[in-house]
Amino acid sequence: MVSNDRIFGILMIVLAVAYGWGTTQFTEPFGGSEAVGPETFPRLLAVVLGLSSLYMVVRPDPDNAWPWSRTGVELIVAVVVLILYAMFLQPLGFIISTTLAVGTLCWRMGSRPIKAYIIGAISGVVVYLVFNFALDLALPLGVLSFMEVS
Amino acid sequence: METLGFLMDGFGVALQPHNLMFALIGAFLGTLIGALPGLGPANGVAILIPLAFTLGLAPETAMIMLTSVYAGAMYGGRISSILLNIPGDEPAMMTCLDGYPMAQQGKASEALAISAVASFIGSLIATIGLILLAPLLADFALTFGPAEYFALFLLAFATLGGITGKNPMKTVVAAAIGLMIATVGIDSTGVQRFTFGTLELYEGVDFIIAIVGLFAISELLFFIEEKAGGGKEKMAVNKLSLKWKDIREILPTSFRGGVLGFIAGVLPGAGASLGSFISYTLEKRVLGKKGYFGKGDPRGVAAPEAGNNGASSGALVPMLTLGVPGSGTTAVLLALLISLNITPGPLMFTQNADVVWGVIAALLIGNFLLLILNIPMVGIFVKLLSVPPMYLLPIVTMIAFVGIYSISNTTFDLYFMVAFGVAGYIFRKLEIPLVPIILGLLLGPEMEKNLRHAMDISDGDWTILWDSGLAIGLWLFAGLGLILPYIVGPILRRRMRVTTGTGGPEGD
Repeated sequence: MVSNDRIFGILMIVLAVAYGWGTTQFTEPFGGSEAVGPETFPRLLAVVLGLSSLYMVVRPDPDNAWPWSRTGVELIVAVVVLILYAMFLQPLGFIISTTLAVGTLCWRMGSRPIKAYIIGAISGVVVYLVFNFALDLALPLGVLSFMEVS
Repeated sequence: METLGFLMDGFGVALQPHNLMFALIGAFLGTLIGALPGLGPANGVAILIPLAFTLGLAPETAMIMLTSVYAGAMYGGRISSILLNIPGDEPAMMTCLDGYPMAQQGKASEALAISAVASFIGSLIATIGLILLAPLLADFALTFGPAEYFALFLLAFATLGGITGKNPMKTVVAAAIGLMIATVGIDSTGVQRFTFGTLELYEGVDFIIAIVGLFAISELLFFIEEKAGGGKEKMAVNKLSLKWKDIREILPTSFRGGVLGFIAGVLPGAGASLGSFISYTLEKRVLGKKGYFGKGDPRGVAAPEAGNNGASSGALVPMLTLGVPGSGTTAVLLALLISLNITPGPLMFTQNADVVWGVIAALLIGNFLLLILNIPMVGIFVKLLSVPPMYLLPIVTMIAFVGIYSISNTTFDLYFMVAFGVAGYIFRKLEIPLVPIILGLLLGPEMEKNLRHAMDISDGDWTILWDSGLAIGLWLFAGLGLILPYIVGPILRRRMRVTTGTGGPEGD
């Protein structure tokens, strides 16, 4: 199977064309055009990417296997955890969201769940304390903000 | 002897107590980063950059700390090579060959001590080389015009894959992607490019977010895929019984390795992996029958270690003098310089002399610190090595989140980082190298600026780009850098594979 490189190459050619077309949409810089305008360098890049991607389509390397089935699901779970971590970092606060995120990741990577969440909680509290008191950087407390000591 | 005066000033900077302290912290963290599986030097330095920022460190302090991390990571890579037979990073691959057999024979702590001494000698030689060579190269680089710089950047991209690189076309694809990302934002004439009206994109894509995402997050995903969370069984470490004779025996080997490594580090396209490979094979050839290479010869441990540490200091030469890094980790160090508002390149030697010479002096001091840290404290590193990746990687990811969050206190950057992480995973699956992407992000603005200057000078005549002998030479080398991997790459790669029997993780 050699389709990975082909598909990626085609996607990159599409990107190069879209990117190249995008350069025609720039507004004229103040003071009129010069020898090299804002669009010159990007157009060069579009050509380079287009040609090198074309090479990938014509001469693809053998594929690396994609992890379908269970491992693939684990990967998606991990990415979702990371996105949720980013989303809840402010509302839930650093300590709780870290406990949940680090704990879930440790658990999914093979730790026992209880141990995983304990590690998550400890690392969250330690990093929070280090940042707030030793480094003087405020991380969000979120729902734990009632505990704030000023 | 002007250099000596600058070096003394450098020592003045590096020996200030707080700089010394950060050098020590850096050296310790670096060894740790190098030793832990799944945390390569580029990755480790990248994660520490946002922290250096948020601490509000002075430029020279931040640079000193991260160069110590860099030097330390090269030391640390050997620990897991010797004890676990897993190279912590690619250059440490050759150390497995004789290091692991030594450990199996119950001489693990001798192997660790010998490799520490060899690393020290290798770095020391290369740092002296750096001191001698860098000012000369910087003076020479002052004669470069914009056209030469443009060609030099091309050379940097072309040789980045190294002559052992697999598919140079993928390097080109990666470089183009990186450069394209660099064009996002408001350009020097005030025109918005590819911002799609999103306020967050006006200032462009922050390369630190990209670097941390590409390295740290994609590494996490890789570990999950390989189900490597459990870690490996570790080797018992015996009590050290090292005689002066043992050290004297490896001295000539270490000197040769250090010199070869330095040369490999300075040259574009070679890098630390090749440095350790060349010095190992040379040593095997020189000593030949007299040694028992591959079966736990101490000189087989010393040669690659001296080579790879020599190369890693040598790699700082093009980065500091020309602003063109030759490896992933030096690219990350360049990212730090740029974000500290220091323009790397020849002018840095005059404008930011305190930073440059402070860093060089710190390298020398860091070497001594590392030697002192590494011989008595190796037990601590060995203990930390047994932390299984299933706990380590989530915590590293969390630290990456904290670092990125603390730069701007927005979650937008975090989403961006995760997106880069997923992209990095896909790129690595397709064997598209990540380092050219990062280099593209870093060099993009400079490259475009030099192109514009060149064209302004010539009034729109493209031939100026290959008008001088120097520029033509650079173009030629860039061309060679892309073509050579097709010719000599397969041979060299096969030989490296035959010698080591395994492939190694990416990045040096």
